[in-house]
Amino acid sequence: MNKQLFSPLWTHLSSEGNKTGTWRAALPIYQDQPSPCLGACPVNGRIATWIGHVETGDLRAAWEVLCDNNPFPAIAGRICHHPCETACNRVQLDETVGICSLERHVGDTALAEGWGFAAPAREHDGAVAVIGGGPAGLSAAYQLRRAGLRVTLYEAQEALGGLMRYGIPSYRLAREVLEGEIDRITALGIELRLGVEVADAGALETLAGEYDAVFLATGASLPKRLPGLDYEADFVVDSAAFLAADSTTQAAMTGAHVLVIGGGSAAMDVARTARRLGRAVTVMALEAEGTLPAQQVELNEAREEGVGFITSAMLETARKDGETVTISAVRVTFGPGDRPGQFQVTPVENSGFSLDVSTIIPAIGQDVDLARWGDVVEAAGPVLAPRAGRIRTGGDVASMERFVTQAIGMGKEAAREIIAELAPDAPRPATMGGAVVDYARINTAYQVDAARNRQADAPLDARLAGFDEVQQPLSATEAQREASRCFSCGSCINCDNCYLYCPDMAINRLFPGYEVKTDYCKGCGLCVAECPTGAIHMQEDAP
Amino acid sequence: MNTMRNDDLQLLNGNHAVAWGVRLVGPDVAPVYPITPQTPILEKLIAFQSEGVFDCDLITPESEHSAMAAAVAASATGARVFTATSSQGLMLMHELLHYASGARLPIVMFNVNRTPAAPWGFWPDQSDSLSQRDTGWVQLYSETPQESLDSVVQAFRIAEACELPVMVNHDAFYVSHSVEPVSVPPGEVVDDFLPKARRSLWLDTGIGRSIGSPAGQETWNRSRREMDEAMGRVEGLSREAGADWGAATGRAYDVIEQYRSDDAELVFVTMGSMAGTVREAVDRLRESGLAAGLIRVRLFRPLPLDALRAALADIPTALVLDRNFSPGMGGILHQELAAGLYGHRGPRLHGFLAGVGGLNVPVERLEALAHQYRDAAPTNKPIWLE
Amino acid sequence: MDICQYTDQGQFRSGHAACGGCVEALTMRVILNEIGPDAVGVVAPSCTAIILGGHPTSSVRIPFIHGLIETAAAMGTGVKRGLNAQGKSDTTVVCFAGDGGTYDIGIQALSSAAERNEDILYVCFDNEGYMNTGGQKSSSTPHGASTGSTPLGKVTAKKNLIEILAAHRIPYIATASPSHLADLAAKVKKAKAIRGMKVLIVVIPCLPGWGVADNSAVAVSRLAVESGVFPLLEVEDGLKYSIESDKIRPIDTYLAAQKRYRHLEAGAVSALQGEVDANYARLKALEAINPA
Repeated sequence: MNKQLFSPLWTHLSSEGNKTGTWRAALPIYQDQPSPCLGACPVNGRIATWIGHVETGDLRAAWEVLCDNNPFPAIAGRICHHPCETACNRVQLDETVGICSLERHVGDTALAEGWGFAAPAREHDGAVAVIGGGPAGLSAAYQLRRAGLRVTLYEAQEALGGLMRYGIPSYRLAREVLEGEIDRITALGIELRLGVEVADAGALETLAGEYDAVFLATGASLPKRLPGLDYEADFVVDSAAFLAADSTTQAAMTGAHVLVIGGGSAAMDVARTARRLGRAVTVMALEAEGTLPAQQVELNEAREEGVGFITSAMLETARKDGETVTISAVRVTFGPGDRPGQFQVTPVENSGFSLDVSTIIPAIGQDVDLARWGDVVEAAGPVLAPRAGRIRTGGDVASMERFVTQAIGMGKEAAREIIAELAPDAPRPATMGGAVVDYARINTAYQVDAARNRQADAPLDARLAGFDEVQQPLSATEAQREASRCFSCGSCINCDNCYLYCPDMAINRLFPGYEVKTDYCKGCGLCVAECPTGAIHMQEDAP
Repeated sequence: MNTMRNDDLQLLNGNHAVAWGVRLVGPDVAPVYPITPQTPILEKLIAFQSEGVFDCDLITPESEHSAMAAAVAASATGARVFTATSSQGLMLMHELLHYASGARLPIVMFNVNRTPAAPWGFWPDQSDSLSQRDTGWVQLYSETPQESLDSVVQAFRIAEACELPVMVNHDAFYVSHSVEPVSVPPGEVVDDFLPKARRSLWLDTGIGRSIGSPAGQETWNRSRREMDEAMGRVEGLSREAGADWGAATGRAYDVIEQYRSDDAELVFVTMGSMAGTVREAVDRLRESGLAAGLIRVRLFRPLPLDALRAALADIPTALVLDRNFSPGMGGILHQELAAGLYGHRGPRLHGFLAGVGGLNVPVERLEALAHQYRDAAPTNKPIWLE
Repeated sequence: MDICQYTDQGQFRSGHAACGGCVEALTMRVILNEIGPDAVGVVAPSCTAIILGGHPTSSVRIPFIHGLIETAAAMGTGVKRGLNAQGKSDTTVVCFAGDGGTYDIGIQALSSAAERNEDILYVCFDNEGYMNTGGQKSSSTPHGASTGSTPLGKVTAKKNLIEILAAHRIPYIATASPSHLADLAAKVKKAKAIRGMKVLIVVIPCLPGWGVADNSAVAVSRLAVESGVFPLLEVEDGLKYSIESDKIRPIDTYLAAQKRYRHLEAGAVSALQGEVDANYARLKALEAINPA
């Protein structure tokens, strides 16, 4: 029998007939996972994604990703407490990515370019009342309107913004920026009822009957009171009223030396505003140095601007004699109490002291007016419960967190739930759940080796001379360079490392994205090890 | 390119005759390492090259091992390849000799038979090439400078027809360095005689097939069966080449040469330059009344057993003269002939270790040998010729 | 981010028999794809030969001859001259060999080819031992490393092949690493454009031989580069040294990332650090005396 036989010397077949996929015990799985910044972000922003767009210079795309979860990037980029930067994996290499400053850059670019939000794809049946035009309410209104629902926004003041307008001084947030970002939302077609207060539970209940859903975000409007201080006295100024007033009125409210009580952001706002009015300013706080609740950058800027600090101290009495107000105070040790909102203060023996000032402005926080809504929405501790029938709550009225971006996030979440109920087909903001990618999964060999690009502050004399913004923005080049420092944790950035580093050519590029050729993958895990962002993980597999 | 126009008679030694043969063939690549007494081949080729009449890439690697490695690789790309060596160099090439035949590469090599160390020696002795007889190379043994030239050309044709490497040998000094008139054929004769090299497969980016990768047992076994089949064609190809050469030049060759052996009562069987002495002894013996003859084995691998059996069938006595020595067994031609004649009608066979190490064997000694052994019973021990 | 702009040209095929995670296969991929289709290869017995494939399959598109272990450079010479004779002098001839076939048994042929300035691209996959036969020492095994034949650690230093080759004054010598694939590809491209002898030495952490996890060989080679044990460099014409990688970390992490140095005492480690420092300093000194 003559068989046609191939040469015993020369090859004639490709190795591709050998399916080495049978060797493996594990298979790489491509799965984007949340970055720690996303995990820490109060709006669950897809930070790695929008920063990636900043890096490639596509600011528009960055803005659209950002605004999916937060319509106020220019504002947040100025005043957010940026827990993302604490959680950032890059902290473990050199220094956090300046996420907040990048958000500001995106937000400012959008305003400068005049970008607007796309109209909703289609209208949906469903009317929602949003009560409160602050960050929570505006955020909810924005998301609801994007989804095509009819939104009516009730705001007691004549202008929208809530604490963003009335609580945050313009040296932190310029008016034009505030106006620009608010107008952009209302341009979507939100029905505004300005100067209309929903006064009480009864009015609330009526509204609930007229609409398919209600979002209540009226904030925490009752100032906490210091015991031992006469709030009727002419030298005691309400901090909210102070911050909400124009500068002429603010000047009229204050004497030469202002004592601000409190260690949080509101206290800093009051103190630094008073400095710009030419006042001598002392801040007195229960908290010790290093545990003051204000953001570090605010404390630093306040000190630079000449605000004096007395920490670990408690006011005991205040007495006016002529034009001078003499206060007596005592050193204390201060710590948290058993429940949120409660604290423990222990005076130190023989540590009393006095101080002469002109004006006292307590800025120790606000409480929710529970009684106002009591019959319709129950209390949950010091704040309102999240839901009562058709009514959802959010922002300071429903949370002790008291951060603007946290309020924005709560407004978004409430809106998501309402959209799911009323217009389930409508698009909702995307987010990402699951465990965040930790630093061990980042391959820093492929990450940019560069020092942080920091925003500069305006010169000190310019700062004190008026209310122009203190923090200067990054330039476009600096922003792009700063964006390149981002690890893109958990997001596939189509860098092709996995494709390149496979010794078996077992990764196909899909432009974008990748797939594993299971016929050949030996499960070595080089792709995972060389992935710069931790967007792939190995999973047990026995083919 | 061949620039020769007419048949040219020159006084050449064996090595220079080889160089002329190679010049006429015009191989593409020739990696050569010098070793006494082969060096005049290399030197002559270099001289031809500097005269501009030898357009071959002559490489001088650092050893014979690398020379044969380069020859193997060049041949694998489809190039026509030549090399030359002797003794130590041939033996240093040993693993590559196996590779070349296993890879079915039609390399032609000229080997000058010289004693292998130790002790050192530069003397004619065929132990070097005969100890390579298992490496799968075709082996031809030349008696004269003329035959060396003629056989080198024929070697290329045989090699390329069966895709096996061919080694042509002549004895150190007796052939390599002795001078005789050599007819150098015109270039066109060689061009007509030697077709353009045809190969089954070679290293080529268009073909994309690799050679020599590790093979399993069945494949390896089959490679040897295919080599066996190719070896089986060599005798016929050699005869044909020899006959065609005769038609072209007037000098025909066969796989064995028979001199006055048809009616001989005693023949000497030998290879190489020893045959010259034997021819003389045969003539003298005939004159003195002993019907002697000579069978010169020209093609040693594959051993042309049919021809040898036919030539020896009716001859009463055969004296094998081996100018080589395989320790533990004796003369190699003797062994192979004894094995090949087993079961066949043939002579009383005697084996002599004649001229091992280059010892001169005078004509008179051979005459005396013939008289001594014409009726002797065969001995099965090798006999050292004094 | 520094990404190798790479697109496969299909010169290396899946289904080959390299261990999962083998960075020799990885670097072969980049090298073969950079060399392209107009090439013929020679391979000495080594892991590379096994990766190229057993008869009748081949994992590469270009034709290779599987030579004997001493013969990579000699066969490279033969292939080049054979191709030249047939008018194919632009076809790249590439030799693949291990450190055994380069530093040891193949060094004679390599030196000879270098002296003749043969127009071949010679790539040594340097895993610092005879890994294909189970992990015996070669003259490329570094001082102190444990192998099958030097279980207590090799007592002699790694042979300095770079200076040996530089002494031959060949046009181009370069080192490369699987952790720097863009650099490897650029060096192959550069070498390909040079007529004459080019030698590329690639550090290859061997998974079983060095005791490295399947997913870690790229990282280990990066450590080798960064600790100055295996600097990335080029030498042009045997005289002009360019030391391209900085020594940015001590050797501890590198030694700890593999099994070959587990037996070392602290004193031996600091002695090794001293040797690495001195070797790197010597290279920098050679760089400093560059001719213009």
